[in-house]
Amino acid sequence: MSEPGLNHFLILGALLFTCGVVCMATKRNAIGVLMGVELVLNGATVNFVGFARFNPTFEIEGQIFALFVIVLAAAEAAVALAIVLNFYNNHLTVDVDTAEDLKG
Amino acid sequence: MFPDFTERPGLLFVVATLLPLASFLVVFLSFGLWALFRPYRDERDGRAELYNIFGGDHPGRLPAFIALGAIVLAFLCSAAGAISFFVDQGNYHHLTEEVEELAKKPARERDPEKRAELLKELEEKKEALTKTEIEFNRHWSGSFDWIRLRPTTAADMDSGTVLAVGFRIDNLNAVMFVMVTFVASLIHLFSIGYMSEELHPTVEDHHVHTEEGHLHRRGRFGRFFLFLSLFCFSMLNLILADNLFQVFLSWELVGICSFLLIGFYYERQSASDAANKAFITNRVGDAGFILGLLIIWTSLGTFNFEEIFRRIRSPEHRADEPAQLAHQFVRASGEASSPGETTRTLTVDPTGSEIILFPREAEHGEGLSPGDTVKVAANPKARQFGTLPYWMLVAAGLGVFLGCVGKSAQFPLQVWLPDAMEGPTPVSALIHAATMVAAGVYLVGRCYPLFAPEALLVIAYTGGITLFVAATIAVVMTDIKKVLAYSTVSQLGYMMLALGVGGWTAGLLHLLTHAFFKALLFLGSGSVIYGCHHEQDMTKMGGLYPKMKITALTMLVGVLAIAGIPLFSGWYSKDSILAQALGFTLIHKEHLLLFVLPLVTAGLTTFYMFRMWYLTFAGTPRDHHVYDHATESPWLMTAPLVALAVCSVAVAWGWPIWDAKASWLEHQLHHAQPHSVVADFGHVFDEGENFEWVQFRDHVNERLKAHEYHEVAGSMALGVVLLGIVLASALYLYRWLDPDEALQQAPGLHRFLAHKWYFDELYSVVLVRPALAVAHAFKWFDLTVIDGIIHGVARSTVQISRWDGRFDNLVVDGMVNLVARVTYRIGASMRGVQTGSLRSYVLFLVLAAVGLFVILSYFVTIVFAG
Repeated sequence: MSEPGLNHFLILGALLFTCGVVCMATKRNAIGVLMGVELVLNGATVNFVGFARFNPTFEIEGQIFALFVIVLAAAEAAVALAIVLNFYNNHLTVDVDTAEDLKG
Repeated sequence: MFPDFTERPGLLFVVATLLPLASFLVVFLSFGLWALFRPYRDERDGRAELYNIFGGDHPGRLPAFIALGAIVLAFLCSAAGAISFFVDQGNYHHLTEEVEELAKKPARERDPEKRAELLKELEEKKEALTKTEIEFNRHWSGSFDWIRLRPTTAADMDSGTVLAVGFRIDNLNAVMFVMVTFVASLIHLFSIGYMSEELHPTVEDHHVHTEEGHLHRRGRFGRFFLFLSLFCFSMLNLILADNLFQVFLSWELVGICSFLLIGFYYERQSASDAANKAFITNRVGDAGFILGLLIIWTSLGTFNFEEIFRRIRSPEHRADEPAQLAHQFVRASGEASSPGETTRTLTVDPTGSEIILFPREAEHGEGLSPGDTVKVAANPKARQFGTLPYWMLVAAGLGVFLGCVGKSAQFPLQVWLPDAMEGPTPVSALIHAATMVAAGVYLVGRCYPLFAPEALLVIAYTGGITLFVAATIAVVMTDIKKVLAYSTVSQLGYMMLALGVGGWTAGLLHLLTHAFFKALLFLGSGSVIYGCHHEQDMTKMGGLYPKMKITALTMLVGVLAIAGIPLFSGWYSKDSILAQALGFTLIHKEHLLLFVLPLVTAGLTTFYMFRMWYLTFAGTPRDHHVYDHATESPWLMTAPLVALAVCSVAVAWGWPIWDAKASWLEHQLHHAQPHSVVADFGHVFDEGENFEWVQFRDHVNERLKAHEYHEVAGSMALGVVLLGIVLASALYLYRWLDPDEALQQAPGLHRFLAHKWYFDELYSVVLVRPALAVAHAFKWFDLTVIDGIIHGVARSTVQISRWDGRFDNLVVDGMVNLVARVTYRIGASMRGVQTGSLRSYVLFLVLAAVGLFVILSYFVTIVFAG
């Protein structure tokens, strides 16, 4: 078993991203969708960390971007959860399929 | 602030002129403020207070007191001015005479030493005289440039582009000032009584009928005095002026004031018609006046009287020896200038077609004698000799005279004056005595040197015809004011006639004396009308003497004065006029009419004036309603009558008073007489017992004849006057003959006279109707042709815009709508994509990302492969 290389990181990132997207596209529960979003973000973080590890010119930037993504994810989760709460207050459900108010 | 009257006493007259203007402005402004605050009179604040301060609902007497105060002050100023003028002028004349005396001495002196001494003394005296002359001019004249038509440099000063406002006092306007302000003061005083009805908040006008009975209107007391003040200012400014332009302005102001005052009761149709008639008739005259002004302005480049006369009349040769042509028009003839030549030479020739214009600063010694030649530049400046076609000079004189014909109601423009009786009686007095009609005669006198002999003849005949026609009409009038109106026209004719035949002093003396007795007669008739409660018809009066003694007696004084009874003021002036007319006809036998007409009219005048007095005051009352209610007027109205009566008797007195030639007023006027009068009508050097004279035309001259035959003319006039009195007394006092029966003898003549020689009808047929016909024709043309064209244009415009509207709606709007509709359709078809479902958006995102990735990888492959 050799050392994990860049490709392993990228594959893990792609897997996490794909899982997140599929989760976003299939879950009807808003909380599930949010979870998908977290997965997508984590996939991106893994990519950044991978590049930071294996590309010396990108060493600091990769780490910093990963930290940014984490902070952003937290902020985004807070906002999104607030939206979900409000949505629940208005519609007594968190089913995203009922949210059709923006239908053209 | 106050001008120094000792330095420039002439300013007294300027102040006298401006005082009525100040009164006008004060009253006018307070009326304006009154009108401004009137809408708020029911508010309970300061604005209602202000409304009450400026007059309130009840017309107050204050405007009258302001106007009266102004005119009385003006009288005092002008009296003071006139007195100091006479004193100043006396000194000046005294010095002139001394120099003339001294100038004769050296020639007689044989001893050369004494002669040298005398000559030295003469030089000194002459120097003193020049100094006095400059001083005198500074005292009594002044002007400032009002409008400069071109920015002028000193070199350009010649071109006559300045309109000045100024004054120049001489004996004529000094005396006129005193007369106008005095008569106007008394008329103001009289008006306060006469117009007292206007003091009520509402006045009932019995002459105006509306659907609800008589007209009720606000009292207009203040307005009357407002107009009166403006009238006085205009007249005084006219007299004051030293140039024709200022005269013209005042002339028009006088016109508008007469319009306002004649139409004072403007709700009456007759009054507003009369005001229009007066104004329009005067416009006819003013058209001529303007023509005259234009000729003078274009050919002489100045409006200043002195400068005009100095240019058209020859100066004297030397101070002590008059040239043969001094103060005359110098006619000349010469070849027309050929092109290229800058000067042409003219020869003095009594029958030439041009007159010489003299340089503006022509000195003594530049005078001309027959046969002399003059070089004239093609474009002469004011300081050079010039020429003017003779006919143009005549036309200028006739033009100015036409203006005077209109103002002074001479034939053929006399029709407005009798109608002007529609105004309140004090206004009639003012117009007839002191202001409006006097302006015309005054201007003829003022412009006298401007009139060529032909123009003077026209003036004389106009006056002759006027005085006779008006007197004949006055004989049959039954309205007391109409009699006086025609008598004014007739007397003005006398003045014009006198001026036309060379009686400059006679005509203007008559203007002054007439002002007093005509004001007296009009105010007297006003008092009668007031006492009889606005009855003017003499056939309803009679026997009023016991009821109104003061009015009757003062009017009798006026009647005697106008008739020319010896020792009354009218006697002096009328005798002078007749003497002058006689002197003129003795020289010019073909103009016999110019003496016969005034002589006959003197009798007619006496007849109709006595007839008026008898019908009003003597005999038995004919209408008991009028008689029972008749009362004497209050002292406010009788006091002016008495004052005027005194003046009517004594104003022309001199010493000895029984000598018709010794009138003090006439001597004063004589000082102001233009030299041209003497030049045109003979020269009398010394008006003493043994006068020498130089003949210019014939062996004898008009003035000399007039002097010689004064007593003859006077006694002839007295005979005719006595005849008139006897006839009037026989008909209307003693009733030896029944006047009605006398009228039956010649009904045609009576009708002819009662219709005023059919002048109104003639003008109606000749002028008014054709004018109306033309107006109607133009109205038709306007309504059918011009309006037709305009309507056609309008209709086609509407049609075109309708088509344009259709194009706009269909094509332009269609295209815009099409774009909008297409956009809408596209939007509608695209809205399906926006499902609103979160999951489908994610799906699209993913698909898009995958799609992008595929495309990118495709390109990347190509790049790497390439």
